[in-house]
Amino acid sequence: MATLRIGTAVLDGVGIARGYLKIGEMPDGRLMQIPVLLGRGAPPGPTLWLHGCVHGNEACGAFVVHRLFRGLDPAALSGTLVALPILNITAFRARQRMSPFEGYAGGDLNRCFPGKVDGTLTEQMAHAIYTELRAHADYFVDLHTAMTADVRWALFANAPAEVGRKAESMARAFGFTSTLPAPMDILAGSAMMTAASDGIPSLIVEAGGKGPAFTAALVAEVVERLQNVMRHVGMLPGPVTEHGPLTYFSNFAWVRAVRGGLFQRAVRCGERLKIGTVLGHYYDLWGQPTGEALSPHAGIVLAINPGPVMTSGETLVHIGLDPREV
Amino acid sequence: MITATTVIRVGTAAASGVGVTRAELRVGDTPDGEVITIPVAIVRGAGEGPVLWLHGCVHGDEYCGAFIIHELLRTVEPARLAGVVVALPILNITASHRGQRMSPFATFGHGDLNRCFPGTPDGAFTDQMAHAIYGELRRWADYFIDFHTALTPDTRWALFANAPGEVGRKAEGMARAFGLKSTLPAPMEILGGSAMMAAAHDGIPSLIVEMGGIGPAFERETVLEGAERLRNVMRHLRMLPEKPTEHGPLTYFSNFAWVNATRGGLFEPAVRCGQRVDKGTLLGRYMSAHGDVLEEVASLHAGIVLAMHPGPTMATGDVLVHIGLDPRET
Repeated sequence: MATLRIGTAVLDGVGIARGYLKIGEMPDGRLMQIPVLLGRGAPPGPTLWLHGCVHGNEACGAFVVHRLFRGLDPAALSGTLVALPILNITAFRARQRMSPFEGYAGGDLNRCFPGKVDGTLTEQMAHAIYTELRAHADYFVDLHTAMTADVRWALFANAPAEVGRKAESMARAFGFTSTLPAPMDILAGSAMMTAASDGIPSLIVEAGGKGPAFTAALVAEVVERLQNVMRHVGMLPGPVTEHGPLTYFSNFAWVRAVRGGLFQRAVRCGERLKIGTVLGHYYDLWGQPTGEALSPHAGIVLAINPGPVMTSGETLVHIGLDPREV
Repeated sequence: MITATTVIRVGTAAASGVGVTRAELRVGDTPDGEVITIPVAIVRGAGEGPVLWLHGCVHGDEYCGAFIIHELLRTVEPARLAGVVVALPILNITASHRGQRMSPFATFGHGDLNRCFPGTPDGAFTDQMAHAIYGELRRWADYFIDFHTALTPDTRWALFANAPGEVGRKAEGMARAFGLKSTLPAPMEILGGSAMMAAAHDGIPSLIVEMGGIGPAFERETVLEGAERLRNVMRHLRMLPEKPTEHGPLTYFSNFAWVNATRGGLFEPAVRCGQRVDKGTLLGRYMSAHGDVLEEVASLHAGIVLAMHPGPTMATGDVLVHIGLDPRET
């Protein structure tokens, strides 16, 4: 069995290994490095690559990876699991989306792939990570968190031919009802689109909320769905759960707030919208209603800003367009 | 007590008749010379009665208080009100803009506004803010309630300044009318510099309410519940005509223990607000970046959980848990 090495994590045979991958250096000269977990079974099988916290404050993914590994029995595994639970470690420490060490624009790691060996900090991080991903991954799942505890949706890179078909089958095995077959011209610089362009079937999962909206119940649910994906690709034994029909979209609309103020949402994730549906209410400093935010699109709520305060330019709502059951 | 002819002036407000006045109070200046003002709403009722003073967002990210006060302001009818409500729903407005506890303009310590009262006119940024607010509070308030928000949506507790004599007894009356089960008659030597303790020392019966969670843990249900409990305090003070609801016995504490984390890591809590803990009860688990359990943390105290860190991450020094000590039903 060939030696599997990612950073300092090294696996010569069957089992589990832990280590770190260097992604940069700190202002004090210490290493900026991220945790790596490897798991390998005896029977041959594909390599599934998982990563979390590409945005530092989206902690759900890290907990999903951790829980998956705590329950992982290499004796029951076919193939290889590679997981990087906390990609943007300095952002994770600061509990924010982007690294506090990123001095220029371009700090969104999920717009920087495949990265650049001599670019900005975030581009160098992306390069260190993506080089390994491209070398090892047969399948890729990227775990994200949105704003509220009720977020449940997924998107796969709808690449031509087999790459897209395999990604779609991962999405079906994962089984979130709201699923976007993502057109290949959106989300440029995401790990998902970069990997799909390199022939790796790729899925993004958006599950749960940030900070105090985090719930352990959701972590357990996502782990079970991931295990179902692993059964589907032949990495775990047992029957694959059929989740039934999904709701597909043509694309999403990412609607930003054009005003600020105290804000209370009027809709929940998964709710159907028409053009003009009230999304939420704005109030002034004295608590007087100052207006409503109306939906500019019909579709399904994928994510909604929970308030209770809003600055102009914040993501107000994320809408799945043209829902159809498939 | 004020009379019908008293003009109540707070900041730019001059409230002279029955109705609602909205105005602003200057609490400082920004580095580019803009005036920093906070919202003030004064509701004068048709009947005579006390002045109830309300604060929200003394810590900028504790938004539940602002929304509870706003809910009251939207529903109170001046024709049915006896006395006056003076509401400052967003005290630390520059901190509120940033979604953080303390103002980004606070430097050199002194950043926790609720440790800076009564304030000083020439102190640090937050001291001057406290001074601008507290001068008005001391001048007008007969009763004072300060609305805070803690970490998780299930937070529900209150504390009143247990001052000697009538001041403490009136504060206790407010706490019972507010009626959150977990209530601390706060010893007068704790929370120095809080608006509650500063006001109680100046003879104003004072209550702090801790309800709901910060950030995405905000829930509309908390706001509606808080506003109804606030209305019940106003019934108790005879500012509203209905008979107050009796909430039954409360659980009092001797004090609270504020336990800070002595290690960091990914964190999974194991207890909820209102839960009874013994010495040694598991509070939660720390995990490494690889997901290995580093340590289980046990409670150092027996009591009731007042507030709990929800995780999912912890830095050393974060508030791990807030425990009410020596619970007894009264």
